[in-house]
Amino acid sequence: MSKPKVALYWCASCGGCEEAVVDLAEDLLEVVEAVDIVFWPVALDFKKKDVQAMKDGEIALTFINGAIRTGEQKEMVELLRRKSGLVIAFGSCAHLGGIPGLGNFYDRESAFERAYLTSPSTVNPEGVLPVTEADVDGFELTLPEFWNTVHTLDQVIDVDYYLPGCAPPADLLMEAITAVLTGNLPEKGAVLAPAKSLCDSCPRSDSKPLKISISKLKRPHEVEPDPEKCFLEEGLICLGVSTRSGCGERCINVNMPCRGCFGPMDGVLDAGAKAVSAIASILELEDEENATEEDILELLRPIADPAGLFYMYSLPSSLLRRSQ
Amino acid sequence: MSGKPKVVVFCCNWSVYPGLQLSRMLDDGIDATVEPIVTMCSGRVSPELVVEAFSRGAWGVMVTGCPPEECDHDGNYSARRRMTLLRNTLEQLGISPERIAMDWFSAGESAELKSAVSEFTEQISQLGPMKSVQELA
Repeated sequence: MSKPKVALYWCASCGGCEEAVVDLAEDLLEVVEAVDIVFWPVALDFKKKDVQAMKDGEIALTFINGAIRTGEQKEMVELLRRKSGLVIAFGSCAHLGGIPGLGNFYDRESAFERAYLTSPSTVNPEGVLPVTEADVDGFELTLPEFWNTVHTLDQVIDVDYYLPGCAPPADLLMEAITAVLTGNLPEKGAVLAPAKSLCDSCPRSDSKPLKISISKLKRPHEVEPDPEKCFLEEGLICLGVSTRSGCGERCINVNMPCRGCFGPMDGVLDAGAKAVSAIASILELEDEENATEEDILELLRPIADPAGLFYMYSLPSSLLRRSQ
Repeated sequence: MSGKPKVVVFCCNWSVYPGLQLSRMLDDGIDATVEPIVTMCSGRVSPELVVEAFSRGAWGVMVTGCPPEECDHDGNYSARRRMTLLRNTLEQLGISPERIAMDWFSAGESAELKSAVSEFTEQISQLGPMKSVQELA
């Protein structure tokens, strides 16, 4: 019997998700024993035409990482969708938009202006900007269209499952592959990670008081956090309260508060707004009755970049998706 | 500008809403659609609900709760902190802080509520509708 075919592809991403596959280490040998990897541009020399030549649905499972921002990415993920039985959005960018999704604070015009005209390292005296078609010495050259807005994978194609994380940890990846191979899959649309919040699995949860209240927020560069203590108790914003568990507490273990790469728990429509809710709820003022709007603003002042913090990994997946 | 202003007013069941029932409709006399949504406490109005209202076409959202010391759950203080942080957050996304109002009313202050809603509606009608979520590209 022939082995199930697996494909891996990347879109607007940093390459960290590809590293996550390599992080399977010896387990990767087990994986290639069980499946045939038929397309993986970062590692193997298969081409788009090889995918085009396959029958529809011939690939059992495709992992796609990265957000979607160009016409080429759309064309490739639509092709892979057609050829695949299952598609897993792999990593924060495909799942929620991720760090490239912060591009939704801007638009195409301002991104081009910054990248090709005004950034200090740019030398572009003729002010050349990318165009989709250009005539050069009688040859017609083309580039994929660069969109105004960054999208999540499921805004472009139908997605079967989500494997969250920046990057997804090896154990969850291995579990996902095993689930597919054994047919032991949850309901379509599921996030293949625990349903609990990060606080539930946090190694510092023992030190977390029953009720947290923060009267003075601090920024990470202002304190050296106690490696045993709950960050919130120290006045540092940690998004573990509104973020899904399953990451292996990698940031917490190197004394860095959670920034939400695993996305929200089930049922949450807007990860950023949920985080705003969670953090604002545990703040307090001494004299709340007589507090003015200015007192509240003063309390919130250390949150210098709230949208960048609360929507760090999820802006394209948010209800509003981008700046107005 | 397209259509009439659409305003969502979250009303606390224990302060504003009994007053609201006694008052005339909130959008009487103004050219706007005002939708009251009753909650059991202003502390229940999560920022997610406000953002959802915007994503479904609201031009502005008003959250009303009990005045200081009148809320049994301190939900009014929580709502105030949440709405202030939400305003700061959404402003970075080009959404005017003026689109989110937070105000406090006692039971029986229906005339004050009606006038606050009317003033808020006037303010957001100057801002116009939000831009809808863009499709691909």
